Amino acid sequence: MSRRDLHQRVSIQKGRRPVWLAALVTAVALATVGLASAGVKHSARANTPTKGGTLVMLGASDIFNLDTTSGYYTVTSMIERAFTRQLVSYPTVASFLAQIQLKPDIATSVPTAANGGVTGGGKTYTFHIKPGVKWDTQPARQVTASDFVREFKMVCNPASPTGAPGYYETTIVGMDAYCKGFAKVKGTAAAISAYVNGHKLAGVVAKNDLTLVFHLTSAAPDFNNILAMGFSSARPVEYMKYVPDSAQFRQHTISDGPYKIVKYVPGKEFEFDRNPAWDPKTDSLRHAYVDHMKVTEGLTQDTVQQQLQAGTGDMDWDVTPPAQNIPGLIASKDNRLVIGPSGPYYVALNTYLPLNEYAGPFKNKLVRQAAEYAVNKNAIVQIFGGPKIAAPANQVVLPGNVGYIKNYNPYPNNNGNGDPAKSKALLKQAGFPNGVSIKLLYQTTDPSPRVAQSLQASLQAGGFKVKLVPATASDFYGKYMLVTSTAQKEAWDTAIPGWIPDWFGNNGRSVIQPLFTHPGPGSSDYSGYNSPVTNKLVDNALTAETPAAAASAWQKANAQIMRDAAVVPVEFQKFTAYHSSRVQGCVFWFFDINCDPTNIWLKG
Amino acid sequence: MSQLPAETDLPEQTQLGAVGLAIQARSPSRLAWARLRRDRVAIASALVIAAIVLVALLAPLIADLLGHHPDQTDQVHGLSPEGLPRGPSWAHPFGTDSLGRDVLIRVIYAARISMLAGVVASTTAVVVGVVVGLFAGYVGGVVDNFLSRMMDVILSFPFLLFGIALVSIVGPSLGVVIGVIAFFSWASVGRIVRGQTISLKEREYVEAARSIGASGVRIMFSEILPNLVAPVLVYLTLLIPSSIVFEATLSFLGLGVVPPTPTWGNMLAESLGFYQVAWWYVLFPAAALLTTTLAFNLLGDSVRDAFDPRGERLFRR
Repeated sequence: MSRRDLHQRVSIQKGRRPVWLAALVTAVALATVGLASAGVKHSARANTPTKGGTLVMLGASDIFNLDTTSGYYTVTSMIERAFTRQLVSYPTVASFLAQIQLKPDIATSVPTAANGGVTGGGKTYTFHIKPGVKWDTQPARQVTASDFVREFKMVCNPASPTGAPGYYETTIVGMDAYCKGFAKVKGTAAAISAYVNGHKLAGVVAKNDLTLVFHLTSAAPDFNNILAMGFSSARPVEYMKYVPDSAQFRQHTISDGPYKIVKYVPGKEFEFDRNPAWDPKTDSLRHAYVDHMKVTEGLTQDTVQQQLQAGTGDMDWDVTPPAQNIPGLIASKDNRLVIGPSGPYYVALNTYLPLNEYAGPFKNKLVRQAAEYAVNKNAIVQIFGGPKIAAPANQVVLPGNVGYIKNYNPYPNNNGNGDPAKSKALLKQAGFPNGVSIKLLYQTTDPSPRVAQSLQASLQAGGFKVKLVPATASDFYGKYMLVTSTAQKEAWDTAIPGWIPDWFGNNGRSVIQPLFTHPGPGSSDYSGYNSPVTNKLVDNALTAETPAAAASAWQKANAQIMRDAAVVPVEFQKFTAYHSSRVQGCVFWFFDINCDPTNIWLKG
Repeated sequence: MSQLPAETDLPEQTQLGAVGLAIQARSPSRLAWARLRRDRVAIASALVIAAIVLVALLAPLIADLLGHHPDQTDQVHGLSPEGLPRGPSWAHPFGTDSLGRDVLIRVIYAARISMLAGVVASTTAVVVGVVVGLFAGYVGGVVDNFLSRMMDVILSFPFLLFGIALVSIVGPSLGVVIGVIAFFSWASVGRIVRGQTISLKEREYVEAARSIGASGVRIMFSEILPNLVAPVLVYLTLLIPSSIVFEATLSFLGLGVVPPTPTWGNMLAESLGFYQVAWWYVLFPAAALLTTTLAFNLLGDSVRDAFDPRGERLFRR
């Protein structure tokens, strides 16, 4: 993102001054204001944050879940930043490497072995809660350790459970058994409360109001990252009256963050006001400049883009700038376009090709390796907007994350253009001298059809006969990818999904584990890849005592997955967002892949 | 729908005296043909359609001539350095699309699909409609009731929604698209044919045929059907453009022909996202679709008027 720091302040000194100077000063001031409101190429001059104003966010649809136990969507993360807080969280700063380092939120510090917060060989985590962090209740009430115990006990509730149970069940003592029992309980508020009150969760203990202790089954060097997820927020006792994420619940949220929800009409709008119980002195992560926030849903992607360009809205809610507009916006150097993260870092392995190992020609490793050589990755990069947005990917770990191997390309492909000759040679070796037929599944929403056609062209040059199979966005995962029987029936041989990790840094648990282990119905290991070697390496990495010890195991797992050619990684991608010209201080925040509404201010 | 030719056009025969010119008897069809040949609009439309068909048939030859093929993506040279489509130039007279493919050759290849879908779907619909309509009109009674109700039901389906649903279940392909179009179009042909049949079966020549022992089928196909040629032909020429547009609509929604095969509909669908930076990508497929549809509609208009010159026209002859 380019953030223009043009400082131009018109200073008016005390004392007598000639009239013509006053006129000149006025003229310059007017010209500045005029230029600032002219829009596109001129950013507003003054850059000191100003409080006040209403931030207008525009989008298409509603969030899926509003309850922190189940909210698992970048848009939900965006508003959870406003009305919830966790023990630790990520700062909104410009440098990506700094952004992915955890900072304390409700906790007084991030526990490490060095500061004594992590003890017992990496298995005990102790947190101290800041006094002064309060719920917006009547009267305002301190957030306590029991509020966290309550949330962890509700994470796997039967009505609205977390979408990542593995993070909790494989780390916290007693969680696995607790959740197995909870799954059998009826989804009513009474039954849920009874279970929560009647069962202890040994791994999460409130030693006193302001001290919280976690006991883990084994060392987990990324446990603090798990505590930064929305699922690990504090939960007030008032929520136990409602079925989690029910319509009634959604009208009675209680905030411990800088804003609170004052209006929610499902599918239509949200309104946020300041939370009087929030004490900025306890919150170093959020500045909360704007006074109100308003979300309007029900628009299309193109309409939102037009409104943001015209200035009748401020930020994207749940849509991004249309892919086909991006090259034009970049060419015209529109500084309202936010591309993040900055530097050689990316937020997503946005296109990779799982190769169906349940049935079909990709069961043969040579055929998989042929595909690795054939794909023209530069062409796909171009479709997404060029080198400013994406880069070819030759491994499954994103740059800057633990397990990334520098300058690693096990299948040299002419600098990303693809090597069709090598692909054909491998196919011949595999017993397909005249090529092999495969089905490529793609989503009908742009830019997937273009990506599919480009892949078809380069794979066909490499000796594959590619048949394109379209699917709607909802069918793509719900009917095909997550349903192993379609792979077993060879309804698809390869497809074009994408993946964004839940955190960065030591994030193998959020990338390699879900994508390359434990295949089955509902699993993100769509292709059925299941290697005992990789599984062992992943286990070692997850239970390593320090991030440094985990690094070597993740690197070996990365290399093994690439040697096995489980998938063809195609491109790493930055994300784009767009905001109006009055939004200032927008720093791309990876957690919501957008600006952070609690840290931007409005100008004019 | 147009009427049958007026009674005044029944054949006559006279002999002139000394000059010895024989006046030939002219059947309604020959009269219609003569009127059509004098109609400038009809000739122009027919020439345009012939040109489109010719170009569509010669598409592979044209592709070789131009040096571009419809599925040939060229993201290096076909796109600008920013990755946007290139405008019309000598190398690409109609510009390139979002993957660097030549728009001219894609528009030409799309003509093949559209014409094929239009003609095959319409012809199928007309054949089925004629058979069912003849049968319903001639036999009457319970059979007529049943077939008429069936036609009514089909006519009351919201065809676009049903078409989308069907394609979603069965999967998109050209065959499915043709099937969907034909399925929804035959009922209106059937109704018209049934109406005509009911009035025609009271004619004397039908009674005469029956009295000499001709079977029902023979009467339907030898006596009644020839008199239906006029309205059916008109309906066919008017059905073809609406079938072409229907196919374009389904492709536009992503439910017609699967990419990378070009059709005017799916080219338009993709081009709408780029209209701000690539006007040529919207204009040329839209112009091709418009020209074809207009030519067929005008021709159909002219054919109808050739059979019935008293009707209203868009353009004076």
